[in-house]
Amino acid sequence: MKLAPIACLLLPLVPVAGVAEGTRTLEAHEHGSGTLNIAFEGNTIAMEIEAPGADIVGFEHAATTDEDRKSIEDAVSELARPMELFVLSADAGCSVVSASVEVHGDEEEEHHDDEHEHDAKDEHGDEDHNDHAEHEGEGIEHSEFHAEYELTCSDPAAVDKIEFAYFERFPNALELDVQIVSAKGAQAHEVERDEPVLDLRGMF
Amino acid sequence: MTLTRLALASLKSRWLTVGLTIFAVAMSVALYLGVEKLRTGARDSFTDTISGTDLIVGARSGSVQLLLYSVFRIGNATNNITWDSYRDIANRPEVSWAVPMSLGDSHRQFRVMGTTEAYFDRYKYRGDRSLEFAGGDRMNDLFDAVVGADVAAQLGYSVGDPIVVAHGLASFSEHADTPFRISGILAKTGTPVDRTVIVSLTAIEAIHVDWKSGAQKPGAPTSVDVIRSMNLQPKAITAIMLGAESRLKIFSLQRAINEYPQEPLLAVLPGVALQELWSIVGIAEVALIGVSAMVVVTALLGMAAMLLASLNARRREMAILRAIGAGPMTVVGLLLIEALLMAAVGAALGVGFLYLGLIVAQPILDARFGLFVPISGLSGREAATLIAVVCAAAAVSLLPAIRAYRISLADGMMVKM
Repeated sequence: MKLAPIACLLLPLVPVAGVAEGTRTLEAHEHGSGTLNIAFEGNTIAMEIEAPGADIVGFEHAATTDEDRKSIEDAVSELARPMELFVLSADAGCSVVSASVEVHGDEEEEHHDDEHEHDAKDEHGDEDHNDHAEHEGEGIEHSEFHAEYELTCSDPAAVDKIEFAYFERFPNALELDVQIVSAKGAQAHEVERDEPVLDLRGMF
Repeated sequence: MTLTRLALASLKSRWLTVGLTIFAVAMSVALYLGVEKLRTGARDSFTDTISGTDLIVGARSGSVQLLLYSVFRIGNATNNITWDSYRDIANRPEVSWAVPMSLGDSHRQFRVMGTTEAYFDRYKYRGDRSLEFAGGDRMNDLFDAVVGADVAAQLGYSVGDPIVVAHGLASFSEHADTPFRISGILAKTGTPVDRTVIVSLTAIEAIHVDWKSGAQKPGAPTSVDVIRSMNLQPKAITAIMLGAESRLKIFSLQRAINEYPQEPLLAVLPGVALQELWSIVGIAEVALIGVSAMVVVTALLGMAAMLLASLNARRREMAILRAIGAGPMTVVGLLLIEALLMAAVGAALGVGFLYLGLIVAQPILDARFGLFVPISGLSGREAATLIAVVCAAAAVSLLPAIRAYRISLADGMMVKM
């Protein structure tokens, strides 16, 4: 896989509050790759996107400078406008009912071990190397952007494709794993930067 | 026009060889299209194995593995789901219905699945089809079992027969003390349900009353009456089929289950997991298509060889054509038209054979293998294939065509006795 060198896999994230002693779970975290879920029900389309901070703003450390804070703010406001990132066919007559964007960030503090850190470094491409090197003493951080949208469409069946302007806006994003559920069942697609269009014919 | 008439007349005069060539092309086209139809039919049958279920939940492993053991009854779960977790999930507001499944026992070579009666209402396949009974009815007693069509056919069971369920998958220890009675036989579905023995969830508990850590407890077995009076609440199940209140809730429900803190669980969208599985199994598709494409190529090459071979016999024909003033393009054109005509007729006949074959084979395939091949019009892809066959015929006949022209020129110059 061409993504392998820049993939930064399986790093720790989000210890769930209140169960700190019993449960330790690690969620997969792959730079360059996000997930987009789309559900069609009646005239409503629900979408949610989850993408690593590396894809959206290019860094995952806590915002320390004004510049960092500004790029996060910019990204959040862009993510709050789904119609500009995921362009649906105009015939469908869709409009946004609600959009919410969250940034989850966390720092791995307690359960940090050396082995982990080495793994992370080995799997890393050069461009991320420095970024992480400077944090070596304080643990590896990861952040995720999570956005949820609800759209309403006058004719959702007219949505025959989605164009992913998302990739133009976020140059670090390489692919999105898309899951779609409609009356016809569930489907998965992988949309890549090279071909940022998703054909939805056959979903209705 | 004249040329076409000439070509037709020439073909007619050689009807036997031409007929066989056309037949070969027709068969190869029918084979190719047949494989194409079977392939799409197989894929659709495969993706239709389960429908109407929004999520399948199991112990956290891989989505393909979860699908394999919960739907296809292949392999085993890495872990069970505790009954408490099941209750928790089934009671979530997003959940409209939940069907627990308990796997792990067998009857001869068939898997036994413990579930609730809701399974018969909720399990859907091939779009919106429900399970139907070929005979008998659902379980209405603790020791009732419903068997799939293949189970009944292979083991020769009929409604009312007693069966014995074995502990584990390939073990010799049978639960002989608690025999079941077949209450119903399901109609053939073409899904793994055909190869399943379905009992109630409590029955699975009941047959394990006397079994501790894989071996039967010493002493007299607990009598059936005592078992009936026991509390047979299961402590664990293997997988859950879930329906969501609304499709809009599926993803948040999936995330909630995947992040369920008390127990590592995995929820997958069956359609997505089936797709993932097909991408592994589907490699055979490519091989099939490759082989049948080779057959078409062979038939076309055969046609070119036939044209080439017939040139010798047609020396006089060519010489006369040349003598009466037919130019090189005319001779080439004549041969091309012959090839195109043969290929076109062959392709058309091939389509005829295909539909004839489909009409004959469809009910057999459906009944025997549960493979439903719809008799539909040619897809754009298939039509394009036909056009490609005719074009390829023209291309391969260029060689004999050019040769015909060359020979006819040489023949015309030669003084012959």
